[in-house]
Amino acid sequence: MKPILRNILVYGAFIGVVAAYGLLEKSTYYLQLATFVGLNTLLAVGLNMLMGYAGQISLGHAAFYGLGAYVSGMLTVHLGWSPWATLPCALFAAGAVAYVVGLPTLRLTGYYLAMGTLGFGMIVNILFREFRRFTGGPSGLPGLPELTIGSINLSHGANALFLVWGCVIVAFFICERIVDSRMGRALRAIHYSERAAAAVGVNTASAKLAIFVFAAVIAALAGFLYAHMITFISPSTFNFLASVKLVAMVVIGGMASIWGSLLGASLLTLLPDFLHVFAEYEMIIYGLILMLVMIFFPEGLFKNLVKLYERAKNR
Amino acid sequence: MPEFYQYLFSGLTNGAIYAIIALGFSMLFAATDLINFAHGEFVMIGALILVTLWPVMGLPLPLAFVITVLATGILGIVFERLAIRTVKKPDPIVLVIITVGAGIFLRGVAMIIWGKTAKGAPPFSKMPPLEIGGAYLLAQSVWILGIVLATVLVMHFFYSRTLTGKAMSACAINKRAASLLGIATQRMTLLAFAVSAALGGMAGVIIAPITMNEYEMGAILGLKGFCAAMLGGLGNSWGAVVGGFALGIAEAMAVGYVSSSMKDAVAFLLLLLILYVRPTGILGGKAIARF
Amino acid sequence: MNAPKTDESARPLLALDGISKSFGGVRASHDVSFAVERKSITGLIGPNGAGKTTLFNIITGVYSKDCGSIFFDGQDLGKSPVHKRVSMGIARTFQNVELFSGMSVLENVLVGRHVRTKCGFFGAVARLPRHREEERLAQKYCMEMLDFVGMAHVAKKPAGDLPFGWQRLVEIARALASQPRLLLLDEPAAGLNAMETKQLGELLGQIRQRGVTLLLVEHDMSLTMEVCDYIAVLDQGRKIAFGTPRQIQADKAVIAAYLGQEEF
Ligand SMILES: Nc1ncnc2c1ncn2[C@@H]1O[C@H](COP(=O)(O)OP(=O)(O)OP(=O)(O)O)[C@@H](O)[C@H]1O
Ligand SMILES: [Mg+2]
Repeated sequence: MKPILRNILVYGAFIGVVAAYGLLEKSTYYLQLATFVGLNTLLAVGLNMLMGYAGQISLGHAAFYGLGAYVSGMLTVHLGWSPWATLPCALFAAGAVAYVVGLPTLRLTGYYLAMGTLGFGMIVNILFREFRRFTGGPSGLPGLPELTIGSINLSHGANALFLVWGCVIVAFFICERIVDSRMGRALRAIHYSERAAAAVGVNTASAKLAIFVFAAVIAALAGFLYAHMITFISPSTFNFLASVKLVAMVVIGGMASIWGSLLGASLLTLLPDFLHVFAEYEMIIYGLILMLVMIFFPEGLFKNLVKLYERAKNR
Repeated sequence: MPEFYQYLFSGLTNGAIYAIIALGFSMLFAATDLINFAHGEFVMIGALILVTLWPVMGLPLPLAFVITVLATGILGIVFERLAIRTVKKPDPIVLVIITVGAGIFLRGVAMIIWGKTAKGAPPFSKMPPLEIGGAYLLAQSVWILGIVLATVLVMHFFYSRTLTGKAMSACAINKRAASLLGIATQRMTLLAFAVSAALGGMAGVIIAPITMNEYEMGAILGLKGFCAAMLGGLGNSWGAVVGGFALGIAEAMAVGYVSSSMKDAVAFLLLLLILYVRPTGILGGKAIARF
Repeated sequence: MNAPKTDESARPLLALDGISKSFGGVRASHDVSFAVERKSITGLIGPNGAGKTTLFNIITGVYSKDCGSIFFDGQDLGKSPVHKRVSMGIARTFQNVELFSGMSVLENVLVGRHVRTKCGFFGAVARLPRHREEERLAQKYCMEMLDFVGMAHVAKKPAGDLPFGWQRLVEIARALASQPRLLLLDEPAAGLNAMETKQLGELLGQIRQRGVTLLLVEHDMSLTMEVCDYIAVLDQGRKIAFGTPRQIQADKAVIAAYLGQEEF
């Protein structure tokens, strides 16, 4: 199939499903759940660009999610800005922090990078908790304004769903194009062997930094959307466990698989909702998922499903 | 001056604990090239097991101590067998995710078993604190320092005098060459996991009386132990010990002279600083990637 | 060792001046100096562990040298990073093939083209006509390189699935895609059979005809003696001889270094 035709079909179907769901579903509860699936997909796809394609693990990604939420939250609550005016600030702040942190951190590899990002995530979370005057401390920051355009409220129901999934679709489109380009090839090369990639001419440091900033900005966008949908933010949403959940979504869907991120985020957002045991056993289940998937399906579920399908077709 | 001594004592006490956690990281890394992100959870499990066996069930302390260390060691073996040896593609990224998963899993299990409320334990002995230079040194601190120093000496003896210890260092230097010499590298890996986990459990035991023991305590202790191991140069046992004390004292001084909210930030900032400036640690050599 | 600036073409393409490097106690390179003439094929030989690969890593900037200087086309390379040196025109292959195994053969070669293309993240998303044109030309050039080494027929296959000898050829195509002036080949004939080795010899000649200077590490002596114009011999990090193949074959120090080695 021609790539253009495939794109029209795939994205057409994607938009169609989202639109149909938004228009037909009447339960506000399920609309919000679907919106959350979208938010997590956004986070997962950004992290997947970093982890799956460039092969750089981040155990502190929730910090950027939190930065987006807190920067926008503090500007709107304390200074009374319009949420829309804070959006560029939130994205810029996260991008700038990612740049400054990434510059030295991304020189690290493997375990060191994992520890560095873990430490970074913890520091940011401590800041959220300790700077009470601005962040509201451990109990959180209430009273964020909702997103509106004229008289249309974008923070509720189907509108919120369309907004979030609109962002997801645009992000997918952007990510797919990046992966299939000169820079995308360079990133994948880095994943296989950073030294070899450098030795054939890739400026690995700047490529890694760029994708780190990109992933951080996407996470901040998700944080911004989250903050103004829920209108309340607290540090525990952006802690280490949140970072681990994001890694789990990427891993379960499949590293280096953009559509896998959709699967991973959907599974890990919907399952806890259907299986109420999750609440108590949440950590046990996430821990098991990470271990089992990595041991038995290191490529993630999506690629395995695709393989199964192809085998069935060839039979 | 008394306050300086007070900070120093508290720094030495915490430092000893960081040192033994760091030793666990470091010796495992030396033998297997792997960093166990669940190491802090072994400390937590050790502390909670001790609290159950000793103050709650009333076993004599030495017995509870030994059982706890053995139990965490066995847990380490189970962990290696089930989650590490089964990995088909042992890339760092895969192992990071698996050990992070194991850590979260253990935390979840501990929450189910012991609940969310923190538990305390009495000090090992009911002696009054020693007064030195106007500052007070708790009896528990003396216990901690003594046990840690004894452990470090035992480890040193193990590495330099016993055949197994020497075989282990050989594995650390070159796995393939070691296996050609007939050293069972798999068994060494297993042993390294057991000893590393037992060291974690021991850290949990000695820290139990001076902290609030709950399922979430492991994360921060693990990270600090790792920070100490990095300070001393990963894989370097003496370095880990020195790094532990250095971190403990730096932290105590920052808390004393700057602000108590700085406590955790010190370790993380130090960690990031080391990672940036000298990823091979202060005492470590210079590593070069090779083709 | 400042080369005279008057006659451009007489200046060697690469000049090593007193290069030393040690790892702990091991002296991998010790005061190595020699020059690689333009459009020549220069061999670099020596027993195992002589420091040949180390020298490649120093020339390409993978290792930093302890002392000494490297001049490429008269320019001191100093501490310039690896990717800079590739864009200046130094490309290499690896002793243990280092292809990006999950990527297709063509994609591997396209990564080699990285330094001669510009499209960044913005271009990747926007795909303006000039970006599409650049990509099209890059693909065309890389297919030509694959064709040149005879691997065009497997362009779409994952590089890791190819037989070993083919992987070596793909690596050469990837190196050529950066349009190097100097190509460093680390044991390209290792693991090839006699037939493939002969074809490799011909390929090296063709590469030279494209105006590329070659520096060749090779244990296969008949190949080295046949294709090289000059040969430098290393032993335990030191350069012990430099000359034409004929001179090298007669050199006492070389024979002593290789005594007992069956290749000679
Ligand atoms: N990164 C490194 N760290 C430590 N020692 C190294 C490193 N790279 C090379 N060496 C040592 O330097 C010496 C030279 O090695 P090098 O790989 O350059 O030899 P070579 O001539 O390429 O040998 P071969 O023919 O086996 O490929 C060897 O003793 C090797 O062990
Ligand atoms: Mg070599």
